[in-house]
Amino acid sequence: MKNYLLRFCVAGAVLLASLVTASAADSKLIVAMLPKSKGNAYFISCKAGADKAAKELGIQLLFDGPTDSNAAKQNEIVENWITLGVDVIAVAAENKEGISTALRKAQKQGIKVLTYDADAMADSRSFFVNQATPQGIGQTLMDEAARLVGGEGEFAMIVGSLTAANQREWQKYVEARLKEKFPKMKLVAVRPCDDLKDKAQSEATALLSANPKLKLIMAICSPGVPGAAEAVKQAGLTGKVKVMGLGLPNENKRYVHAGVTDSVILWNTGDLGYLAIYAGVALAKDELKKGAKSFKAGSLGSFAIEGDNILLGKPFIFNQGNIDQFDF
Amino acid sequence: MSTAAHAPASSNPSRRDWRAFFTRHEMLLLYVLIAEWLFFYFAGTSTNRRGVIVGFGTWDRQFDILRHSCEIGLLALALTPVIITAGIDLSVGSLLGLCAILFGKLWHDGGLAIPVAIGLTLGIGALAGALNAILITALRLPPLIVTLGTYSLFRGLAEAITRGSITYTDFPETFLFIGQERWLGLPTQAWVFLMVALAMGLLVHRTTFGRAFRTIGLAPEGARYAGLPVERRLALVYVLAGLIAAIAAIIYTARLGQAKADAGTGYELFAITAVVLGGTSIFGGKGTIVGTLLGVAAIAVLKNGLACLPVVMRLNAAEEMSGLLTGALLLVALTASVLPKILSNLRPRRHTATQSTPPLSP
Repeated sequence: MKNYLLRFCVAGAVLLASLVTASAADSKLIVAMLPKSKGNAYFISCKAGADKAAKELGIQLLFDGPTDSNAAKQNEIVENWITLGVDVIAVAAENKEGISTALRKAQKQGIKVLTYDADAMADSRSFFVNQATPQGIGQTLMDEAARLVGGEGEFAMIVGSLTAANQREWQKYVEARLKEKFPKMKLVAVRPCDDLKDKAQSEATALLSANPKLKLIMAICSPGVPGAAEAVKQAGLTGKVKVMGLGLPNENKRYVHAGVTDSVILWNTGDLGYLAIYAGVALAKDELKKGAKSFKAGSLGSFAIEGDNILLGKPFIFNQGNIDQFDF
Repeated sequence: MSTAAHAPASSNPSRRDWRAFFTRHEMLLLYVLIAEWLFFYFAGTSTNRRGVIVGFGTWDRQFDILRHSCEIGLLALALTPVIITAGIDLSVGSLLGLCAILFGKLWHDGGLAIPVAIGLTLGIGALAGALNAILITALRLPPLIVTLGTYSLFRGLAEAITRGSITYTDFPETFLFIGQERWLGLPTQAWVFLMVALAMGLLVHRTTFGRAFRTIGLAPEGARYAGLPVERRLALVYVLAGLIAAIAAIIYTARLGQAKADAGTGYELFAITAVVLGGTSIFGGKGTIVGTLLGVAAIAVLKNGLACLPVVMRLNAAEEMSGLLTGALLLVALTASVLPKILSNLRPRRHTATQSTPPLSP
């Protein structure tokens, strides 16, 4: 009886297998895209852009990642893709060194590798699709602030902390732009909020009472924007003191619709996914090589390349008109 | 069903042994494993655009499966004697994380040579196991509660030591060899895994220790009356579990080239699943190392094989599918293991009702 059982199992397996394989034959280029975690709304919005690019280019897109941000899982998924023989792997690295081992292995097997959103070690990938340079962020922040107040008046900044490297970098470029282009504007104070919304709110309240001529608050850490907005709203200064800064659309939607916050600045995540797929396919087709100075990606047009970084370019400004199209 | 018609033939002892052998849980699991493997071999292998054979049916894939299952496999080996004694150890996954970052710290901050750091880490693992052992044997606390406590304690310690943010990387090539290269044809860590499996197999099946584990699992009081050193034997299984978790930590670190506080999160549950799937009774007293190995393999093949199926790939759902099917596999296996008992309970009643012949003597 058990012999029959074994034979039944084997026959069943083979039969089932042939059914599944029948629908498998596919000779499209396969691009595999790895997010830090696949449930994260940020990466889901990246995928929307990637899907669009995949459709335009007629390729098969695999989008898989850990359900939480798990570096070990990322490695296993990449190793799986290697044996599946995909053509391109695009990675947002959770752990720079950890993932690089797997990526080097992929390159050895002739798979083209690029990173997006978060880079891996430079020798483990061909290009990094860089979503934003500190310079681009600083300039966009300052230009938008100047536009909101008509190029003159006092403003204050709320930063995550006074020591964090990226915050200082952004602040440096904001101040450089201010000095260079907007002589009639004056930065009266820079306050840290320790990446806490509550602290941002109390700091903003203090700024408002200490500087009656304040026309705008710029927050460059993501909890800072809603924190400052809440302070302005409670002080009854909605519309009189503008709020803007770096942040995620979802946590600011309420204030944007209420007219408290005018602009939220970040990059367009959909475009990031779109560009990553276009760059990956160009790599596989040998149309994009080391040393290239620019790269054309479908309907988005041309992007500059600095060294091995493909620059997504100017940050994106979310405002009342477009913020509802984004969900992250 | 032809053999069933010749029911009296089963009174022939050699034939009964033969049948018993093939209906053993391990054999059933082996059939499942073979079926799984064949299925994925035929459904998960294809030729890609460049004309290269890719997917499940490649040696690389098979080695990856082996490579990826070493850590959970080691934890499952560690848990088999624990569960045979009717205990449980939920802390092994957390201990893996703690040992991984301690190893990283000893090497990176302590400036120790890799072999020394490995030796110390194994010692720490055994000590952590000893903590479980003392609480369970000396204070007679239930293993579930004790290891639930150390589960949080070890992970918390790991996070406290790294303040949740430090990751140790940049290990030397010679160390990464353990986790990323091949030696004598197999992934290096597979040799470690096989050696531990062999050692545990001998311990559980070829020594009086193993017999003591089963006796303790069946009847701890009886074992005590029979003069078995119950506390010492129990302490041994928990210390061993700690030691093996430390070995798994080293292999994990070498495979990823990084030591981080979240290493091995959730691994204890995968390991317990593999052990139970392998036929070890969660109530103790019964279980084999071979069964555990088959359980680990069945889960690993399922998980890796699924990721090779074109359908699953297109849905981008390999992770979710493997969780779902592992659960289903476990439930089916558990059901299958009680099914013969239910069937044999039904059969004699039917015999007596229809033929009114006396039931067969066992």
